[in-house]
Amino acid sequence: MGPSSTAIFLVLRRMRAPLIVLISLFAVSILGLTLMPGVDAEGKPWHMDPFEAFYFMSYTATTIGFGEIPHPFTTAQRAWVIVSIYLSVVAWAYAIGSVLALLQDRGFKEALSLQRFERRVRGLREPFLILAGFGQAGQVVARSLDLTDHRLVVLDVEPARIEALDLAAFRSDVPGLAADASNPLELRRAGLESSTCEGVIALTNDDQANLAIAMTAGLLRPDLPVVCRTLEDGLVERMRAFGQPMIVDPFNLFGDGLMLAVRAPQTARLVTWLTSDSGTKLPAPMTIPRRGRWVVCGYGRFGGHLAADLRRYGMPVTVIDPRAQPNADMEFISGDATDPDVLVQARLSDAVALAAASDNDISNLSVLAEAQRANPDLFLVGRQNDPADAPLFEALQVESMLVPTQLVAHEVLARIGDATVWRFVQEAQKQDDAWSTELLDRITATTGEVLSDRWTVDLDEHGAPALLDHVRTGRVQVGALLHDPQDRDRSLGVVLLAIMRRDQVLLAPPDDEPLAENDRLLLIGEPQDRRALDTVLSVPAAAEYVLSGRRIGQSWVWRTLVDR
Amino acid sequence: MNFEKVVFGFFVVLAATLNFGFFLGPIDNPSVHNAGELFAAVVVNLIALVMKFGDRTQIGAVHLATSLVASLQLVAAAGLWSYYNHLVDGAPLSPEQISSVVSLSGGALLANIISVTLLVVETVSFRRQ
Repeated sequence: MGPSSTAIFLVLRRMRAPLIVLISLFAVSILGLTLMPGVDAEGKPWHMDPFEAFYFMSYTATTIGFGEIPHPFTTAQRAWVIVSIYLSVVAWAYAIGSVLALLQDRGFKEALSLQRFERRVRGLREPFLILAGFGQAGQVVARSLDLTDHRLVVLDVEPARIEALDLAAFRSDVPGLAADASNPLELRRAGLESSTCEGVIALTNDDQANLAIAMTAGLLRPDLPVVCRTLEDGLVERMRAFGQPMIVDPFNLFGDGLMLAVRAPQTARLVTWLTSDSGTKLPAPMTIPRRGRWVVCGYGRFGGHLAADLRRYGMPVTVIDPRAQPNADMEFISGDATDPDVLVQARLSDAVALAAASDNDISNLSVLAEAQRANPDLFLVGRQNDPADAPLFEALQVESMLVPTQLVAHEVLARIGDATVWRFVQEAQKQDDAWSTELLDRITATTGEVLSDRWTVDLDEHGAPALLDHVRTGRVQVGALLHDPQDRDRSLGVVLLAIMRRDQVLLAPPDDEPLAENDRLLLIGEPQDRRALDTVLSVPAAAEYVLSGRRIGQSWVWRTLVDR
Repeated sequence: MNFEKVVFGFFVVLAATLNFGFFLGPIDNPSVHNAGELFAAVVVNLIALVMKFGDRTQIGAVHLATSLVASLQLVAAAGLWSYYNHLVDGAPLSPEQISSVVSLSGGALLANIISVTLLVVETVSFRRQ
């Protein structure tokens, strides 16, 4: 018997005492009734037999009350009936009270919800992801994964968040359990060992819990991809000890993104855009200063990362922090940045950028406002810790915002959502601005400034049955493929972003690049163009027409006639 | 000493003894089978049944099953008795009628004996920690 049958045993166990009381009081009442002297219709002495007594007690105790059956009672019988009635009221009250108390009982409710959760997880026939932690980032990730047809199982320590799961309008059924996901037992309940589990995402607020989740998943299911959020550098190495978890550290990510924007703003723009949800507008290019002195207020973990990154790019940095440790590499000012006297020492007038990097939103806001007043040309970077403060930062018009939860969600989706896009992004990040500008122009010219769907096509038996024979000749070029199967002079509104060929990634290949068998194409385009391309890939006549211009018959009879 | 065990053992044994008492005697002689004893046997068996609810061990499950069988058979016997009693009002049961009631209670007795055996086995195999 599994743990899921706990609820029924709890009911049985709790009902023992009330049921025994009920049986005993019924027995006493029935016995008494059979002993009381009565008279029948002719006035002869008569005793109830146990059956009649049981009948009488049944309708009396259940308040149905048919009256004195089969003969009117004597005084002795009535006296005993008074006793029986009060006894039965007590017994029923006790039994019903116990049932109601049990239904209210927390342990019983938990047993019931656990049972329902396990049933729903077992019922998942499609591949699903386990999401541990349903906080800000977790909710964004869940919503987005749900929209892209991923099934989810959610774990969170906070029962309130799991209750909110019922209210969140997901397209698919999302089982949720209020439990500590760092406990291996709970992860197994959530289906970690199920053959249809396709990944684990650890987004709890507790780094130690995330480590425990990565460890459990790494040991029990080494084959599964694990995405793990962490804020502490020390934990990264420990997480890597168990398998190959993908580690998402918002501070590092933000620093990397900022540095990419410094090095190649258009590449940063391209990468950010292509990893967003479909329907996102092309973001404006970030006007980040590429040289000049930065002022970093707050030398915590984020400030430290940022200052180190800036130094690596050869930019002078001034750090303001109350616990500043002087360091030959950077200029340190010891003090509270919210104090105007301290901020003045940082000589904002000849700095190019300021980052408010402390873990306190109020002091970040006041530093940003003060800096904007002192030097309106400053490039401002703000760290927003509490999502509720978003309108305040928007009002200040900060150019670059670090919102850890959003960043984590974005990164998790890019990694879990589509591995091909992720590989493309890894390569694209290494490209320079000229390359990115050209690709961005091609994408916007073809599909507009609103992000279209991205999808992959495998050139194999399943992905492109009609095209495979042509591809094997080695003479099919990229440019020839993307044409309308109705009118081959019209190009499809589809851009080929990359070809994955074994370990290689061919970024935005030129039109004369020949295709090979087992290539994986990453494409972007509108749904109707995707359908047109699907036709070319799967209908031999369409493939023949698009590639050579020859119209061949779709049926065997027509093909034989035309080929003569 | 565990008081719960005392009560549990008491009811299991009492259910068996009452059942045995009713069953004892020639099967077709109504005068040696007491209606009151059958009534008591039904009640005590029902209580013993409820006491076995909610035990998740293997032996607990078998306990519950035997009690379920005994209670069913005894309730059937009592029901049959009442039915025969009301066929002809007030007349004593015929030898055929009483023997079918007693044989039902005999089946219940077998189940009760298994139940008591289980109790004994459980007690004997229990070692003081």
